Amino acid sequence: MNRRGFLAGALGLALTGCTSPRVATPGQLTLWWWTRGLSENVLGEAVQRFASLKFVPANVGHDLRPKLMAVLSGDAYVPDMTMVNDDIAGYFGDADRFVDLNTLGAARLKSQYLDWKWQAGSTPDGKLLGFPLDTGPSAMYYRHDLFTQAGFPAEPDDVARAVSTWDDYFTFGQELMKALPGRYLISDAKRVFTYSMAQEPRKYLDRQGKFIGDQAHVQQAWARAIKSVQLRLTAGLFDNGAASGSVDQHAAWNAGIELTLINASWATSEIKESAPRTAGAWRICRSPGGAGNQGGSFITITSACPQPDKAFEIISWLLNPDNQARNYVDAGLFPSAPAAFGDPRSAAPDPFFGGQNTAEVFGRSAGEVKPAYFSAYDIDISNIYTDELVNVESAGKNPDQAWQDARKAIDRLLRRRGVL
Amino acid sequence: MAAKRLRYLPQYLAISPFFVLFAIFGVYPVLYSLYLAFQKWDGIGPMQFVGLKNFEFLVTDADFWNSVGNTFIIWIMSTVPMTVLALLIAVGLNSSIRFRGLYRVAYFAPNVTSIVAMAIVFTSVFSNQFGILNALLRGIGLDPVSWLTDPWGIKVAISVMIIWRWVGYNAIIFLAGLQAIPGEVYEAARIDGATAVQTFFRVTLPLLRPVLLFSVVMSAINGLQIFTEAQVLVGQRGGPQDAGMTMVLYFYNQAFTESDFGYGAAIAWGIFVLVVLFAIINWRVIQRPERAEVQ
Repeated sequence: MNRRGFLAGALGLALTGCTSPRVATPGQLTLWWWTRGLSENVLGEAVQRFASLKFVPANVGHDLRPKLMAVLSGDAYVPDMTMVNDDIAGYFGDADRFVDLNTLGAARLKSQYLDWKWQAGSTPDGKLLGFPLDTGPSAMYYRHDLFTQAGFPAEPDDVARAVSTWDDYFTFGQELMKALPGRYLISDAKRVFTYSMAQEPRKYLDRQGKFIGDQAHVQQAWARAIKSVQLRLTAGLFDNGAASGSVDQHAAWNAGIELTLINASWATSEIKESAPRTAGAWRICRSPGGAGNQGGSFITITSACPQPDKAFEIISWLLNPDNQARNYVDAGLFPSAPAAFGDPRSAAPDPFFGGQNTAEVFGRSAGEVKPAYFSAYDIDISNIYTDELVNVESAGKNPDQAWQDARKAIDRLLRRRGVL
Repeated sequence: MAAKRLRYLPQYLAISPFFVLFAIFGVYPVLYSLYLAFQKWDGIGPMQFVGLKNFEFLVTDADFWNSVGNTFIIWIMSTVPMTVLALLIAVGLNSSIRFRGLYRVAYFAPNVTSIVAMAIVFTSVFSNQFGILNALLRGIGLDPVSWLTDPWGIKVAISVMIIWRWVGYNAIIFLAGLQAIPGEVYEAARIDGATAVQTFFRVTLPLLRPVLLFSVVMSAINGLQIFTEAQVLVGQRGGPQDAGMTMVLYFYNQAFTESDFGYGAAIAWGIFVLVVLFAIINWRVIQRPERAEVQ
């Protein structure tokens, strides 16, 4: 054997030795999760409980999606199970990369979970890709202390009655802002649009993939957002996804600049952390316009997993109603299993909200959410509309022009994606 | 014959680590992105060949051209003041002042500081309602500026971050250039009766020209890649009216946020073409005949 032959052989050996394993950690069952996406106590217990299956939770920090896409496209180091956020519809086109949980007997657990949440994790042709983790039922957070100071109804039921529709809410806000100058009813126009859309049973595309994102329900949400700006009810503190968005927002909470905040349940932990001095001043009540949902994640099993039935055993334990109540207490994740709403642990009075039972308000909201179809393009379309609303609010752009520009941008987007 | 060819094998092996790594992490992704630019791909599923469609879309994409404009505006808004400032600092550091070493370290520190951490600090400085800068403006009786929502405010904020980060680096480069200028030249100028200002503009600046050009080329390379500052200050979508949307941020947005990897790759090649054009212009500037007199 000459030296060259030896080198070629060595190179070949090295290359075959380098072949990547298909799953993240062969011989173990790996779950990708992100910080505060699951209760660490529950995960810790699961590791003990499923020690024989070698269950390994791996925290991937934030931005799970690009990491998941990288391993899926390379078909190597794929986790056996992974959390997926409310952009789950973005994976429906590649449903074959995940296990249909119905084939593992998920249907027998269906009755324990909210129907609309179950549907949100299912593809249009009925494959269940995502097992329900948490939900984001919306409610109106408001400053009880400032409402009282201004001589306005301040108890949750009374406030809910006073702001039952968006129009009532705006009228109420105008009066309230007169009594409390220098403060604002709403953070920004984007929020009005987002939470108005969250209440709609129809979003931007129908189940047949036809674009419906310019119809009456979207126009109504848009008109409400524009109205909130024109009535000068908004503070212009929009969340741009960057740190700068939250700096102003947090400061406004601390300074009492924002009188109300329509948001999903997961905002409670953010308010508590960033405005601790306002403890006891907040209450929550039913959102104007009714129940809606914004956000909430799932757990999926990838088709790379060699033991999907075992993985499903782990997932269905992690997300059973009992553990969902613990998720809520430990990490503020609102349950998707109604049995957990009334659980004494979730229903405990919350001193930050003046001893209110917040799970009751969110639970009622979660129970009233209507099933909706989310397409893979919903988040992009919604972003285009809200970008234009920011332009109207912060730069005084003509609302009609903004609507037309948004429509044009959406047309271009959908044409490129082959929807139109 | 074989033995002769293998004679330099140890040497080749010794230099191979760089080339192997560069081939894997440099050349291969570059070539692959060219292939990708002709495909439609969501990042997971099968690719679909679409010919020149991505490029057709690119040249008619107003958002892309807006990001090109933003990038050049921010580049000019940051490079011009930064160069002047760096020059002043370099001249200051070159004179005999106390704690010179300390100042040199202090001015260089921003360049090695985590940029994301700094962006968060800058966010608190420029924050519209509760930022330090607006508090200062109010304090001296001026109207606050919506730094992070006004199109020009956003560009100023991003430029200030770039200046802050690179001014020390360039000052150190200029300082090295200043110290390389022989003392006799200054002596001759003094004998001829030149004032300090005349000396600076007639002696220092012309002799510093190669260093200045190096700094401009470097800042062009960095400036055309502005990404983190914009992303952390105004978010992934570029802020109101896309005023903070730079070329690279737009590319990132399309590929990694909207999962349109084919189009993302086409944008990347669009940026490449623009950078090449820009490099040619730079090269022409450097090749100007004045160069002879500098040497």
